[in-house]
Amino acid sequence: MKQSVVFAALLLTATAPLSALAAESYTIDSSHTFPHFSISHLGFSTMHGRFDNTSGKITLDRAAKTGTVDISIDTNSISTGFAKRDKDLMSPDFFNVAEYPTMTYKASSMSFKGDAPATVNGSLTLLGVTKPVKLTINSFHCGIFPMNKKEKCGADATAEIKRSDFGMKTFLPGIGDDVKLVFEIEAYKD
Amino acid sequence: MQELLNHPAMQGGIAPFVTALIAAALLRRWQLSGLALIAGFLITAYMSGSLGLEPLTAIRKSILLGIAAAVLGVVLSKSSWRGMRATLAWAGGAAAIWAVLRILQQHNEFLTALPWGVGCAAYAGWLIFWTDNLRNQPVRAGSAGLALGLGTGLAALLGSSALLGLLGLALGAASWAFLLLQVASARPPPCGRSFTLPLSLLAALVGCLGVLTAELPWYVLLVLAAIPIAAQIPAPQKSSLWLQSLLLSAATLVCAVGAVYLTWRVTGLPPI
Repeated sequence: MKQSVVFAALLLTATAPLSALAAESYTIDSSHTFPHFSISHLGFSTMHGRFDNTSGKITLDRAAKTGTVDISIDTNSISTGFAKRDKDLMSPDFFNVAEYPTMTYKASSMSFKGDAPATVNGSLTLLGVTKPVKLTINSFHCGIFPMNKKEKCGADATAEIKRSDFGMKTFLPGIGDDVKLVFEIEAYKD
Repeated sequence: MQELLNHPAMQGGIAPFVTALIAAALLRRWQLSGLALIAGFLITAYMSGSLGLEPLTAIRKSILLGIAAAVLGVVLSKSSWRGMRATLAWAGGAAAIWAVLRILQQHNEFLTALPWGVGCAAYAGWLIFWTDNLRNQPVRAGSAGLALGLGTGLAALLGSSALLGLLGLALGAASWAFLLLQVASARPPPCGRSFTLPLSLLAALVGCLGVLTAELPWYVLLVLAAIPIAAQIPAPQKSSLWLQSLLLSAATLVCAVGAVYLTWRVTGLPPI
């Protein structure tokens, strides 16, 4: 009995550093990470926009098939290619950036397909309202970035939300309620 | 039908006007016609999806303060205490700071937030102080409300916020309904603080939010601040209420037009 306790303790001590090593931490590469959105413009066309400043951390444990996401998006960095509309989108009618300058996405649950993450179940906080949002990862790749020889992972992900769920109700239903989100994400290994 | 209810002209004009007209007519027997203003404003807040408590945004705080001001206005309508105007002005200033506190907290440094907070409080205090002077003069109060609402609403609309624009215009539409009832009625309903207090506080808060969260230039508020003063110009007392309201509305609307013009010079037309 005493021997088995000592053995278990040794096993725990030996595996602890391994599992710590298995969880890899990544920092978002803001120059290659952009959340895009698209929304119906009175049914005439689909308008696209993006946020230019995104930061955050991602951890991945591909052996244990777990991971976390903690991303912060500067809503003040919205860009639709038309400055006047951007001002409108920053107003209390939409993103209310003076009062809520960031939106966040946090997740601690991922599903994997093989050793690559396939979906992320997290929570989006926008305008002070937090709702569950599932990200579907359409492509995922890790490797050495040729320009600086640093380890990096990248992914393309999509999600869909209803803006009214977050209290953004101005000009509904003319300006659509359904918002498609497309993320291009790249992150360097710490 | 839903399309009609979603139309901005319905939300910011027709609905508050009709609601205020009905409310003023129904409440006149209890001398509470002044509540027509908050009734008209609240219908716009409801139709634009702004009513609610979670999250407690600056706009929602403003709506709550508007309701509280209307209730307080009823309670204090009979008060003749000399220090009341100044007390209400100070309280309104403090309420304005509470409403915009979260926005001020986004400034990294206290000293950059300070002028905006003080400016908002001063604007709210000023409007409350001078509009309170009109509480026993319904035609003057209605004319001031019409101009304050239209001026604040249209300037906010040009300053890149349709929501603030609608809320401001609702004040103008409700005031217009109240004014119309004044001049069309053989026994004009009384006004009181239940009209002037929510009017001045809400107009101040919509204006402040237009500056702090949209593109409304701050100095436009200086022009709008002249409206309750313009509503006190001498008007021929023996002339008909129609003529009085026309003269007073013209005087106050000059300030409103000036504010809208200044905003338009800076922002141009809103994106469509």
